[in-house]
Amino acid sequence: MGLSLKEKEAIIFENDSDPQRILNIFLDIQFASEEGYIDEETAKLVGSHLGLSEARVYELLSFYAILKTEPQAKYVLKICNSTPCLYTGGDMLAEVLETILEVPIDQATPDGLFMYHSIPCIGACDQGPVIKIKDTVFSDLTEEKVYQLIDDLRNGCYLEL
Amino acid sequence: MIKRNQPVLLERVNKMEHATDVAEYERYQGFEGLKKAIEMDKETILDELDIAHLRGRGGAAFPLGKKWRHLYGSKGDTKYIVCNADEGEPGTFKDKALLAHDPLSVIEGMVIAGYLFSAKAGYIYMRGEYRRIQKVFQEALDHAEAAGFLGDNILGIEGFDYKITIISGAGAYVCGENSALLNSIEGKTGRPRVKPPHLADVGLYLKPTLVNNVESFAGIPVILREGGQAYRDLGTEDGGGTKLICLSGHVKNRGLYEVNLGTPLHEIIYSDEYGGGSSTGNPLKFIHFGGQSGPIGAVKNLDDCIYSYEGLWEKNLSIGSGAIVVMDDQVSIVDYLVQVAVFFAHESCGKCTPCRLGTTRILELLTKFNKKQAESGDLERLEHMLTHVTNLSACGLGQSVANPMRSGLDYFPEEFEAGLKEAAVPVKGGLW
Repeated sequence: MGLSLKEKEAIIFENDSDPQRILNIFLDIQFASEEGYIDEETAKLVGSHLGLSEARVYELLSFYAILKTEPQAKYVLKICNSTPCLYTGGDMLAEVLETILEVPIDQATPDGLFMYHSIPCIGACDQGPVIKIKDTVFSDLTEEKVYQLIDDLRNGCYLEL
Repeated sequence: MIKRNQPVLLERVNKMEHATDVAEYERYQGFEGLKKAIEMDKETILDELDIAHLRGRGGAAFPLGKKWRHLYGSKGDTKYIVCNADEGEPGTFKDKALLAHDPLSVIEGMVIAGYLFSAKAGYIYMRGEYRRIQKVFQEALDHAEAAGFLGDNILGIEGFDYKITIISGAGAYVCGENSALLNSIEGKTGRPRVKPPHLADVGLYLKPTLVNNVESFAGIPVILREGGQAYRDLGTEDGGGTKLICLSGHVKNRGLYEVNLGTPLHEIIYSDEYGGGSSTGNPLKFIHFGGQSGPIGAVKNLDDCIYSYEGLWEKNLSIGSGAIVVMDDQVSIVDYLVQVAVFFAHESCGKCTPCRLGTTRILELLTKFNKKQAESGDLERLEHMLTHVTNLSACGLGQSVANPMRSGLDYFPEEFEAGLKEAAVPVKGGLW
């Protein structure tokens, strides 16, 4: 379910319709929406409220890595591929996730529940290996813990995510 | 009184129960720096900063006093204060601790700057990955305003009006570069500007602007509270104060620590108080300092190294952001550098060709060495490419890509030579 017009406008107004805070607005909308992306209609809405052209808005959406323009899986598992994480066990994460979820990196599971991809650094270098889902970091992971995490998510734990 | 070997920046981080509570902050000497500042002559504030010899903690290590003096002397009625909280340097998580657990110290540092430069607006640009911390920081801003430390007529001083706005990043390492960060605040893509002009002359919305790191701002109240000399005495000749360091990789006790500049590196890596030595049981091989763009040192050459600006410079190393990533002898330097190159190829903003294409070519060449498919001449090609990208790139991102690569080549040449294909055929003609 996407956000209603009213909900999107509420986020824009909370940020004072301030063009300086366009990234805050997009992130708030994206994180609040279930499909986790900024669709064309929303991009136009934000642009018109902030007095920015569509070209400017799309330039931003394509430049910043966290912003997405395609629907995402319900749980997007982000794996850190920077050296501190990678060399302290992070290298096993992609392999384990491929085994469990049976899809390659960057591809959603057929039920739309999971997707995993690599990102550079989430600022948890002392807790690797880590998986980040939305704003939550699951740290010091082992293979067993990853199995458990996926199980828990399938069973509806972590409602706040 | 502050003494060596006591936490200065992390004191409240480890003690405060409610990080955004102004009264609790004040119980730990909070806002004393600001209160002293408003009683001082502005020139005296600048003198204290010079005496303290705080070098910018974002990575560039430029003397903060000089930077502030430049802005003080720049012409213009409107000046902006910007805090760079776009901490995205792999191996670095120090600003996160201050932002989440002692936000008022960062705010106090920014308010002092606001007072000194008669600025009305301050901005803190915080990385998109720290969304939860942005909420904590906003709460701290609200509390500070309610207590009269932000807003209009701060501390009852007529005309001392100053507000701080949080701007979120959305995932772009290059936005840690100050001019890219200002573009991003302006609602544009975060691509760096051509410099000069200096941001202290032509910065945010083309007005004189101060940009400092979170840790730098957090140090300002300490300097004014305790005096520049007391702060300087915490460190060494070439840099005063303490430094937040982030230990990660193959050490037992990964985490955030505060050390006096001048602490022996051996102690940081091996003593139980800090790193505790190798976590894998294998001997340690190399240390990557200051983030992905920092230089790498071979552990065998670092026994006598002192962790200070000059101590690391002596070894062709640098403190950078304070990241200390330690690797054991099971890690191939070429393999490690491939991952570093992946990072830069991904994060290059694409604005200038030497960086956009250069980072990709470096990644391709290193991958060839890693797969043992390098050909005769590839080593020279790699060295040429490193030089080109360093010299021709427009901003610090491209200019520093070669730091880890070069030190890897210097200390472990045999690992690169081992990546050459057997019976490699010499190439004809020029290198390019």
